[in-house]
Amino acid sequence: MLEDPLLLARLQFALTAATHYTFVALTLGLGPYILVSQLVATLRGDRDRMRSVRFWGGLYLVNYGMGVLSGLVMELQLALNWNGLHEMFGYTFAAPLALETMTAFFVESTFLGLWVFGWDRMGRWAHLFCFLVVTATAYMSAWWVLVSNGFLRNPSGFEMVDGEAHLTDPVALMANPASSLTFGHVVTSALLLGALVVGAVSAHHLFRGHDPYGTFRRGIRFCTVLMCVMPMVVVSFGGAQFSYFDTAPPTSGLTYTTEEAEAMTEAAGGGLASAMSQAGSVTMMLMWTLLFFLGPVMALVWPFGGLDRWRWFLAPLVVTPVMPYIASVAGWVFRETDRQPWMVTHHLTTADAMTPMPAGAAVASFSFFTAAFAALAAITLWLLVRFARLGPDLGPLAERGPEQEEPAAPRLTF
Amino acid sequence: MDIFSALLLTAFVVGYLVLAGADVGLGLLMPRVARSTGQRRSALAAIAPYFLASEVWLVAALGVLAGLFPSVEHHVVGRLWPALAALALAWLIRDAGLWLWRRVPSARWRAVWEGAVIAGSWGLALSWGLILAGLLTGVLWSGLFTPLCTAAVVALFALRGASFGADRLAADDGGQAADACGELTRILSRWAMAAVVLAAAAAVLPGGPRPEDPLVAGAVMLLLLGSLMVTTGVYGPMISRVTSAMAIAAPGILVALVADLPSAAIPGVTGTFVWATLVPTVPVMLLGQVWLHRMTRRSAGAVTFFA
Ligand code: HDD
Ligand code: HEM
Ligand code: HEM
Repeated sequence: MLEDPLLLARLQFALTAATHYTFVALTLGLGPYILVSQLVATLRGDRDRMRSVRFWGGLYLVNYGMGVLSGLVMELQLALNWNGLHEMFGYTFAAPLALETMTAFFVESTFLGLWVFGWDRMGRWAHLFCFLVVTATAYMSAWWVLVSNGFLRNPSGFEMVDGEAHLTDPVALMANPASSLTFGHVVTSALLLGALVVGAVSAHHLFRGHDPYGTFRRGIRFCTVLMCVMPMVVVSFGGAQFSYFDTAPPTSGLTYTTEEAEAMTEAAGGGLASAMSQAGSVTMMLMWTLLFFLGPVMALVWPFGGLDRWRWFLAPLVVTPVMPYIASVAGWVFRETDRQPWMVTHHLTTADAMTPMPAGAAVASFSFFTAAFAALAAITLWLLVRFARLGPDLGPLAERGPEQEEPAAPRLTF
Repeated sequence: MDIFSALLLTAFVVGYLVLAGADVGLGLLMPRVARSTGQRRSALAAIAPYFLASEVWLVAALGVLAGLFPSVEHHVVGRLWPALAALALAWLIRDAGLWLWRRVPSARWRAVWEGAVIAGSWGLALSWGLILAGLLTGVLWSGLFTPLCTAAVVALFALRGASFGADRLAADDGGQAADACGELTRILSRWAMAAVVLAAAAAVLPGGPRPEDPLVAGAVMLLLLGSLMVTTGVYGPMISRVTSAMAIAAPGILVALVADLPSAAIPGVTGTFVWATLVPTVPVMLLGQVWLHRMTRRSAGAVTFFA
């Protein structure tokens, strides 16, 4: 396996993308909850709610850090390892990515900096506005990334000029069902994931009867409501995605004839990729089925005070977020392996898309990046759990006295 | 359209060098100017408000490169793969240090991530040296020119960092670290001048870069040497904020003007699509950047999320 740069580059992409998405999903899932909490806190001048915002915001930031780190590597990796894709589809596939970097990431990171450093330096409404921009651009970024990614699955809106794809129809590019339906599915499944994380953290603290600011009482109720509603939306978008399965993309025939392309798909079928694809889809739907029942059960115990007091009920809730995480990664495995052997369906095979590189370089890049990612993801996960358990008084954004929890060293005063 | 797109790409690269040059440069100098625990915290507190807002300029440059100049990207990746991979790794390590430093209140934990910030900053500056040299010569390694150009670029980063440190380091150590940075601006601009002159001499040797337009290249070099020259004087620490920015912008401008990169007309629909979507967001992009820089103008003191 170590002699095959293609396999290594694919594995590297899969592992880093899965890691990236794991953190991205929580960013997308927590953002709107924090935004609405901050809006209510600002409207009512409610200090307790603002403490909750600081608590969830601290988790958001720790998680966001890993989202940014892994995203940067994704961007560079796409350029470095998949040069063939850019050579043929730079003007189509990469154009939405270019827009994403400028109109979404650029704005998102800048305003996140404003939000973090502006806590006590700007007015309440200006501060709220900053987080509104952060949330909106995070969703915009997801949209543009999925326009690019949907293009791989169902390429549309271009013509071939000397082996290079030239965009002819930006509307077709953006209205691609493999992008818009996917956006719906990804966003709603991320909201579900975020709600369950909020619910699990709340359950942990309610279990120990620790809820000084009502943060967790509100959190678990929010989770219950979303868990009753969201699975239905997730499954609707998910089911709708089957509509573009088993149909050739509208641009089929521009590079290979449709018959040739179908023969190539046929010849590559049945391998490890299609087995993984099936495993991915089964896992995802199994997780969904389990989650589907969770919301109604929570709603049932609510009137009896179970959400606040029944410790036997709260304890198992703490581990439930693994389910949407597993479903999300499985969903991506399903989608991406299902496309094989194609990088861009009916136009460019994965093998042809790869940058030619010596086996040594591929091994080096694979080992460095996978090791670094594994370490950073483990550290971030540990920190998230740690801060989630520390609670609202000790989080990274908590209001604090001058130098609380600094290492024991001679203190400088200023 | 093509010329605007080329200007956009240059603006993102030069913007990155000028803005990120400051916080990366301070990372280079940390072993020298941030020795005590308090000084190290204050160095990281100076870097923290800016690094996110600076690195997005490079993310945007990569996006424009991929979406509007795929043939340039193909060319650059094909030739400079190892330097770009090193850049990615250094970037990852440095940012990990910045995100993680404050998370655990233990001296050992913080020492590890300070090390990551310093090592990552050096890795970034060195890879930028290699990349800029590679863009000028068209190959990853060309004799004497490559190491000399790399040394010059590292010196320019350090100079920019010194100027930033003199401005932003908090005075809770009696101003020692900030003063050391101020003094370093004069010393570093001399080192940078020496490296630039040597690199320029090596450029004339066989194997050195062949600028498409030697006159333009000469003019940019004069601008660079001029800014360094005035920084060596007694007013160095005071004017270095501007001169160090001009100096570090010079290599980026040089590459944009004289490097021999493949050119291809951007297909009309892609150009229109990208520009039509981009233009409405430009005010928001600028608003964010200007607001952040104005808000954090005072030197870093209070404890925040990062330091
Ligand atoms: C469905 C959503 C989604 C998907 C599929 C991806 N991303 Fe992502 N990405 C985000 C949603 C997102 C985000 C929510 O917008 C992040 C997470 C944390 C953040 O800062 O923004 C982000 C961060 C992020 C960053 C850091 C930018 C910054 O803030 O400085 C980069 C460069 C990328 N991503 C690049 C990629 C690439 C090249 C991808 C695929 C090949 C990719 N992302 C898949
Ligand atoms: C714009 C966004 C994305 C692009 C451009 C993209 C593109 C790619 C590329 C270049 C590969 C390697 C070649 C291949 O095997 O097809 C790949 C494979 C893969 N990607 Fe994505 N991807 C994106 C988003 C994601 C995300 C967010 C995930 C999250 C988990 C993901 C999961 C995978 C997996 C599991 C594979 C392995 C498939 C295999 O090797 O057979 N992808 N994709
Ligand atoms: C907790 C539940 C679920 C989560 C977290 C989840 C998550 C995901 C994710 C992240 C993807 C990859 C991106 C995409 O193509 O949208 C995906 C793919 C997909 N999901 Fe789900 N999903 C869930 C439930 C379901 C259910 C119940 C269905 C069935 C109706 C479904 C149908 C699909 C389909 C068809 C795809 C592949 C689309 C393609 O290959 O283009 N999902 N899922």
